[in-house]
Amino acid sequence: MATSPGNPRLGFLGLTPNDTAVRSDPVAQLALLLAKELWVLKDRQLVLEAVLSQNGIPVRDLVERWQPSAAEREAIDAARRQFTAEVVAALEGPGDRR
Amino acid sequence: MDFQLRQQGRAATAFLSDLAVASARLRAKVDADLAARGLDQQTLADDLDERLRQVDAALADSRANRALAILGEWSGVSHGRIGQAAFDEIRPELEPKLRELQSKGPATLEVRLGERLPEYQTRAWIHRTTGGWDGHPYQGFVHGELIHREYVSRNYPGDIFAQRREVLGLLPRRDYRRILEFGTSSGHYTMQIQKVFPEAEIWGCDLSLRMLEQAQRVANENGWAWKLFQLAAEDTGFESSSFDLVTSYIVLHEIPAEVTRAQMREAFRLLRPGGDMLFTDVTPYRALDKVAVRWAEYTAVHGGEPFWRSAATLDLAQAARDAGFVDVRSEGFKGAKYPWVTYGHKPG
Repeated sequence: MATSPGNPRLGFLGLTPNDTAVRSDPVAQLALLLAKELWVLKDRQLVLEAVLSQNGIPVRDLVERWQPSAAEREAIDAARRQFTAEVVAALEGPGDRR
Repeated sequence: MDFQLRQQGRAATAFLSDLAVASARLRAKVDADLAARGLDQQTLADDLDERLRQVDAALADSRANRALAILGEWSGVSHGRIGQAAFDEIRPELEPKLRELQSKGPATLEVRLGERLPEYQTRAWIHRTTGGWDGHPYQGFVHGELIHREYVSRNYPGDIFAQRREVLGLLPRRDYRRILEFGTSSGHYTMQIQKVFPEAEIWGCDLSLRMLEQAQRVANENGWAWKLFQLAAEDTGFESSSFDLVTSYIVLHEIPAEVTRAQMREAFRLLRPGGDMLFTDVTPYRALDKVAVRWAEYTAVHGGEPFWRSAATLDLAQAARDAGFVDVRSEGFKGAKYPWVTYGHKPG
């Protein structure tokens, strides 16, 4: 928020330390940004399913009933393992890699 | 104005609006937490700043209050960015239409100030909207069509556009020949003035050129010959005794109290004898209890409203009388606390 030395109203931010601390938490703000992006992607997937269905491809039902082959299962499992490893590495931080 | 957002812009703006609607219910939980900590009308401090500190300390461990702060902070910072991004997705196809609407039609726009704006207009991003009133080449469209219609209107009680029309029903005359609006913005109130007084000549002024450009597009699209000016309403330079009605809607809390007083004086100067003034704005603090004032302050501070307190504590009736108006009334519309209407008459 823009600040204004001459404006006592904006000075209120400095008068309420607990509220200011909560608002300054970058992790919470990042979580909401990601939630927004997640919804945009979910919305897009719903749109994609509707568009394909209108054009003769009932993709939602096909996806729900799809069963992977052994090779496809392995590819998905490998991708998920890499993703979870990246999540853990991010939480570990560089200081733990000794 | 017909337009269609792309998927990402539509989904993001809808998410923003729904998040705000869903967040609103947290306020009742915060009030309950306040009461549980022994803070009510009797125990809350009389001094407003002291009351704000008192509440902040009491709610330090309130989960609802923390959630409300996190959600409000994100919406406050993000709504402008989301609106601008949604517009930028459709800009290539919309821009030719917007340019044509601005250049062809009966409405005129005269730039008087350019970038020589008063300090109160530029010191902060109003509403925390990224870039403020003029922060995007098409900020008038972004603010008027996307943020106001899609976001603000869903988060305020009642039909905010119908309220603009209904307050005009308070006026004693229907034969105003020339009407001046202070703070035209993108023309939402001007449209209602046009509809209620279709025979009148309508003038409008605002400090934001980007907002006035959108008002001009709205007027041209509808064939309305509005005369728009980028200037300060407290110092229009227009001829004295040349208007029959001077009016504004939800503008006063966007300007310092001393500017409101100056606008009252300017309105009185501009009105013909027998003319009327009608300014509508937010609820004065004297009409609210301590808890409601605390919420108003909370919303104003974190919603980027730097002049709300000075507006809500100004005695508008006295300011109108000081300017010379008679038959002054300053009261909630139809007995409600919002919107708040202030009327004055220039003696004939």
